[in-house]
Amino acid sequence: MSIERKDEHDHDAWMEERDLTALESMYLSVLIWFDKRLRIVDYLELLEDLYYKVNMQMPKSHTEQYNLDNKFWYWYPLYALGSFSTIAYVVAAISGALLGFYYAPAAAAADGTPSVAYESILFIMGDLNLGLFLRSLHRWSAQIMVAAVFLHMLRVYFTGAYKEPRELNWIIGIVLISLTMVFGYSGYLLPWSQLSFWAGQIGVEMSLSIPLIGEYVAQLLFGGFTPSQATLVRMYILHVFLLPFVVTTLIAIHIGIVWMQGIAEPH
Amino acid sequence: MTGDTPDEPTESATDRERVATDGGEDEVAADGTGIVPPDDETPTWSERKQRSQGLSRLTYEYFERSRREDQDLRQQSSYVERDVLAFPTWPHELVRNLALTSFFIGMILLLSAAVPPHLPGPADSGSTPAVILPDWYLYWSFGLLKLGPLNPDLSLLGGQKLMADRTYGVLANLVVVGAIAVVPFLNKGSARRPVEQPFWAGVGVMGVVFAFTIAVLSVKNLVPMDSHLLFDLTFLAPIVCGIIAYSVLRAMREGYMFDLNRRYYRLRPPK
Repeated sequence: MSIERKDEHDHDAWMEERDLTALESMYLSVLIWFDKRLRIVDYLELLEDLYYKVNMQMPKSHTEQYNLDNKFWYWYPLYALGSFSTIAYVVAAISGALLGFYYAPAAAAADGTPSVAYESILFIMGDLNLGLFLRSLHRWSAQIMVAAVFLHMLRVYFTGAYKEPRELNWIIGIVLISLTMVFGYSGYLLPWSQLSFWAGQIGVEMSLSIPLIGEYVAQLLFGGFTPSQATLVRMYILHVFLLPFVVTTLIAIHIGIVWMQGIAEPH
Repeated sequence: MTGDTPDEPTESATDRERVATDGGEDEVAADGTGIVPPDDETPTWSERKQRSQGLSRLTYEYFERSRREDQDLRQQSSYVERDVLAFPTWPHELVRNLALTSFFIGMILLLSAAVPPHLPGPADSGSTPAVILPDWYLYWSFGLLKLGPLNPDLSLLGGQKLMADRTYGVLANLVVVGAIAVVPFLNKGSARRPVEQPFWAGVGVMGVVFAFTIAVLSVKNLVPMDSHLLFDLTFLAPIVCGIIAYSVLRAMREGYMFDLNRRYYRLRPPK
């Protein structure tokens, strides 16, 4: 009968009797430290699941399983288009964040004099170290993302991958492709060059032609009936604040659903 | 022996009642926390779920049903090999993509180093540029805005148009997007290859060709051709291409399906 409370879970004593190596004991003490605080053991099932999934035996590939004479491999790039567009999106996000350090959506005049926005693009392209490459990278990754998204949609259509359990993801995909184009459009307006201005003009006219609510839409999206400073700032906020959150969330949902349902190989 | 559940509900219920009322004198938690260690009477999590009420109970019952459904399907299955309904994303698809991915990023870097973008002059509302175009991926949408000649003028309204040409163009965009959105609700089933469904493949080819022709229409001066002829070709070419694709795939189908059946449907019969 000792006065001290007997600790049935004396992990230190247990570790000592186990005669562990330095690495093992270090690992265990870190694990115990965290487990005492976060009770990781409650989540053990999840961890085990992940662990065994990584070590899962590869099933036969589609070609092997159905004896397709290994004539299928050249379709693989088409099955990677979705991840290509995601990767291009990530590259565009990184280069865009770097460009954002130097770009200012300000003082958009439309009288042929270079605005602050235009000047900042000139600075990035002309004076900034690696600036030309940075802008080029941003533009090309955006172009490639759009191209990959279009081709991805075609691949999904022609291999029937949109069919029955995957309708929801097809519709999310349509929303995503539309938002990608809005992304591209709003970015196209940011340099406030001649083409930006007149593309903005087309956008204003498109929204004005919507019956009943056209004028409100033009006011909301473009801040007026002709491209101006308000248009530039709205497109900037759309491009760097609103769309990134929405599109990233949707991409996560899109990929999550693919993850849950698996890739639809052609049958 | 009937094989029914062997538990004695009344006895165990009274048992539990007794244990609950007498305070559990053999396991007193002296530390004052009032936490009772789990014993045989403590319900397991699945028992807790079974006893719960309302929506959670319903959810539990449904999950049990679907689990049983999966189990039954698996046992009934006469498939020779493992039934791959889909290719696993992790790790198989992601591992497969990694090599392609690194090559792909390299290509982006190379392209952007080799072909820097061009910056046109600053915005000037006074001088309209000769060519006003959005980025290439919006050409199809831009072309749909130029469908004015197709806007029906109704004789009922005395030759007036029901809506303005530009409203019609914006509506055409919505119609195209909507048509794409309803495809999975019209075309169901397990067919995956274009040859299996020549009609839908033909529709797809028509759509792709139309995207190109409408883009050419939007760039007007790209093709040196009479603009009326160009306008007609914009709508005729997709239909012709769609029909060609349909008939070619239709002709291929028999031989191809023979092959498919031989290799594939023996293992995995279609629905």
